[in-house]
Amino acid sequence: MNLNTQKRWLDLNLRRLLLNPVNIALTILLIVLAYLVLWPFFQLVFETLTWGEGDRRFSRDAVPGEFTWFHWLQATASPISEKMLYSPLINTLITGVIATILALSAGGFLAWCVVRSNMPGKGWLQPVLTLPYIIPSFAIALAWETVFRSPKVGGQPGLYESILGVAPPEWLSYGTVPISITLAIHYFPFAYLLVAGALATIDSQMEESALISGAGKLTILRKITFPVVAPAFVAAFILTFGKTIGQFALPFLLGAPVQFHTVATMVYANLALGLDSLAFVLAVILIVISLISIWLSNRFIKKKSSRFETIGGKGFRSREVNLGQWRWPVFSVVALFAFVVGILPLILLAIQSIMLIDGFYGLENLTWHFWTGKSNPDIAFGEPGVFHNNNIIGATWNTLKLASLSAVIASIIGLIIAYIVVRKSDNLLANALDQIAFIPFLFPTIAFGAMYLTLFAEPVGPIPALYGTFTLLVLISVVSRLPYSVKTGVTAVTQIGKELEEAAEVAGASWGMRFRRIVMPLASSGLTSGMMVSFVGVMRELSLIILLITPSTRVLMTAGFGYAEEGLTQLSNALVLIVAVLTIIGELILWWIGKGRMTRLREKL
Amino acid sequence: MADIIIRNLTKKYGSETALNNVSLEIKSGEFMVLLGPSGCGKTTLLRCLAGLETPDQGEIIIGDKVVFSSADNIMSPPGERSLGMVFQSYALWPHMTVRDNIKFGLDVLNTPKNVSNDTLDSVLKSLGMKEFENRYPSELSGGQQQRVALARLLATKPPVFLMDEPLSNLDARLRMDMRVELKKFQSESEATTVYVTHDQTEAMTMSTRVVVMKNGEIQQVASPGNLYRHPSNTFVADFIGMPRINLINLTKKHKDGSVFINKDVQIDVGWVPASNEIVLGAHPEDLVVSKKEIPSSEKYSVTAVLPNGPETIIQLTRGKTAVIARVAHDSSFNVDESVYVNFSVSSLNIYDSKNGVIIEPSNN
Ligand SMILES: Nc1ncnc2c1ncn2[C@@H]1O[C@H](COP(=O)(O)OP(=O)(O)O)[C@@H](O)[C@H]1O
Ligand SMILES: [Mg+2]
Repeated sequence: MNLNTQKRWLDLNLRRLLLNPVNIALTILLIVLAYLVLWPFFQLVFETLTWGEGDRRFSRDAVPGEFTWFHWLQATASPISEKMLYSPLINTLITGVIATILALSAGGFLAWCVVRSNMPGKGWLQPVLTLPYIIPSFAIALAWETVFRSPKVGGQPGLYESILGVAPPEWLSYGTVPISITLAIHYFPFAYLLVAGALATIDSQMEESALISGAGKLTILRKITFPVVAPAFVAAFILTFGKTIGQFALPFLLGAPVQFHTVATMVYANLALGLDSLAFVLAVILIVISLISIWLSNRFIKKKSSRFETIGGKGFRSREVNLGQWRWPVFSVVALFAFVVGILPLILLAIQSIMLIDGFYGLENLTWHFWTGKSNPDIAFGEPGVFHNNNIIGATWNTLKLASLSAVIASIIGLIIAYIVVRKSDNLLANALDQIAFIPFLFPTIAFGAMYLTLFAEPVGPIPALYGTFTLLVLISVVSRLPYSVKTGVTAVTQIGKELEEAAEVAGASWGMRFRRIVMPLASSGLTSGMMVSFVGVMRELSLIILLITPSTRVLMTAGFGYAEEGLTQLSNALVLIVAVLTIIGELILWWIGKGRMTRLREKL
Repeated sequence: MADIIIRNLTKKYGSETALNNVSLEIKSGEFMVLLGPSGCGKTTLLRCLAGLETPDQGEIIIGDKVVFSSADNIMSPPGERSLGMVFQSYALWPHMTVRDNIKFGLDVLNTPKNVSNDTLDSVLKSLGMKEFENRYPSELSGGQQQRVALARLLATKPPVFLMDEPLSNLDARLRMDMRVELKKFQSESEATTVYVTHDQTEAMTMSTRVVVMKNGEIQQVASPGNLYRHPSNTFVADFIGMPRINLINLTKKHKDGSVFINKDVQIDVGWVPASNEIVLGAHPEDLVVSKKEIPSSEKYSVTAVLPNGPETIIQLTRGKTAVIARVAHDSSFNVDESVYVNFSVSSLNIYDSKNGVIIEPSNN
């Protein structure tokens, strides 16, 4: 080949590369995701390092747009640092660590009971035990408040006071203790799934062979069981902790009334005060903590794919430990626990939502007003009940629209990304796409919301200012679901043999036709369950969108949060209960898909 | 229905060369089998023909169309090469019924509905799959799945068939039946066929010509008969034939003589090869074994007797030289017996022991 033909050969390859629809999709997705994932982060950091319009209030030196360390200094080394950063940071770390320890202890113990012991009733206890993670964390906080609310801070007495006649101590009503405990209740199923997964990977044969070789039970525990579970345990600890720090609604509800703030609630509070740049500094700090914790957890689980490993379903039986006479006592404890954390909160919310005046427990105080009543100026400032409340009906409609749109879009884009990642695994750009799509997982949700707040506040080039639009909510919901939907997609695409597609290619089918008629149908079962997971996930989301919501785009969760802030407990309980029930229905559908249709389809593969 | 011409084709995976400067001409309607040990590049060559892999160098012409040329910047996509392919795994689409699987190719070609239905019916009937048309692939036996893969190929009547070990997932009995059937459909359709296998019996029974490959290079292209009688090098000789050919290292006894020896045996090959060091290739049936002394024979002892249906394989040794002979099933040789062996000179192949290439008796 002479130089000229070599050049033409290159041209040909280049042209083919550029015209290949997969490469076109790859390029577009890379650019779009870079803009939606990487750029907002830089924008957020940039905002913290420049003067804003509002800063003229604080400093005469402020020149909007100019570089400054002012906000960072204000956050870390000024008279308000203690209140703005250090005390919330300490609160975040303390509640996070306590919650994680509690969640891991409970989760670890339950995982052992379910995976390794012969405790009865595992079949139906397991789904009940995952309930607290399925329902919005906000629901648990509301339920806690229902019981431990204290008139000293304001509002009506809770169940505790009504029954015992004395007000609960303040540390039990608000602050570190209730926040840690409710966070632990929300996250222990997460820890449970992580540990159960690790426990299930211990092949009994490993232990049995050690037993045969004469090792004692303690030696086996120390030399085999522990080393296998330990990394997962540490990773579970860090991951759970990383999740707790991004929580906003729960600590806000149980902390704000007594001026107890975490970094996440402080972001919200600062934005409410118009201290945007300071809020963004806190958001960056949250992201950094999250990055560190995920980096640490990855060091403990070496395998890259394990970063998601939350579901153990390996399906093989480990040898069960016989509990003997402790079988039923252990069962009772676990069942009681499951009831208290999984079912009781929902019952409490339901009861609260039908009480005319909250805090007064008596039959004469029950009413359906908050569900079916028309506007009555004497009750709840005239807010009509759920079924007649345009505010709530609009929010329901928005919720369903947002959740279904985001779920469908996220799943399809996730599938396309997964397709590119799997089929072009040796391509550097495809790997980059894989990495970028994973990044939203690293952002605490409230910080992610803050990023979009800065990015879409003003029009940039052809992109209009999206703040206040429904589109923005869909956008952020889709992007935040991508790490999960790509993961689902990768699993689905990996199962489709390459030859199935090549057979269609030889027959002359274009890429579009192959994707539509071969890849999509074969991935559909995985896609459907992925969609349902996203649907449920978006529906119960609050921290992610709370900063981006305007009255016209409110959803059930934000409306519920709004009512809670206004003290309209019954309505907020009703709304959160609706979301909880919807998510549970979603999970049931998922379960049904998993049990029935999907397995049947998989047999066909 | 279409010639295939492959010129100087090279394909590399990283630093590994899967195909090295492969050139091959396949005539229209031919049944060409690519044969060779696993990893020799058969599948790669087939996939380059199909357009599923892009070669690094060379040229491929199918019919009168250049489908690949590194010099002229041509790389036609698979769908524009007018060929059909059967994959080793069959690659049946699990979510489509048998009928839909076969119909897909017709849909791609925008075949009118009535024509498509007629074609489907006739293909399904000719393969005896009509009653299974509404089943899913997972509800079929291996042999039936194989038929569907074949039906998918036949429905669009491409002028070129590519098949990658299509019978390797079937049990031995079924494989025999399918060989006959495949051959029948191929000759009826008159399609030029490139068929990959590592099974030499399959290659020998079905092909019009066989390409033997090793390490990405073509070793020999020949008709099955020629391939068996005149393997062009020791690799091919060793690879073809069941039981294996005898390869004996020998040295010329006298300059310009036709007698070759090693420490144990002495054989007169009947002509004078140019090389002094040779490898003698003798098929087991080219050894005449007799209990009585016969002319120009040597005495061997029988070390193993393996009856195998219509024939019996015996192992013979003389000193450290061991050979295999094929004798009639009713011959009664016993282990440790002494026998006389004579090599039938006209059937022997002689290879240069330096490079293993056959030495033709060119000057006689
Ligand atoms: N996609 C691939 N990536 C890297 N190496 C490959 C790939 N496909 C084939 N090879 C290598 O090319 C060589 C030829 O492979 P193949 O054509 O599949 O052999 P065969 O079909 O004759 O068994 C082998 O050494 C194989 O490892
Ligand atoms: Mg192969």
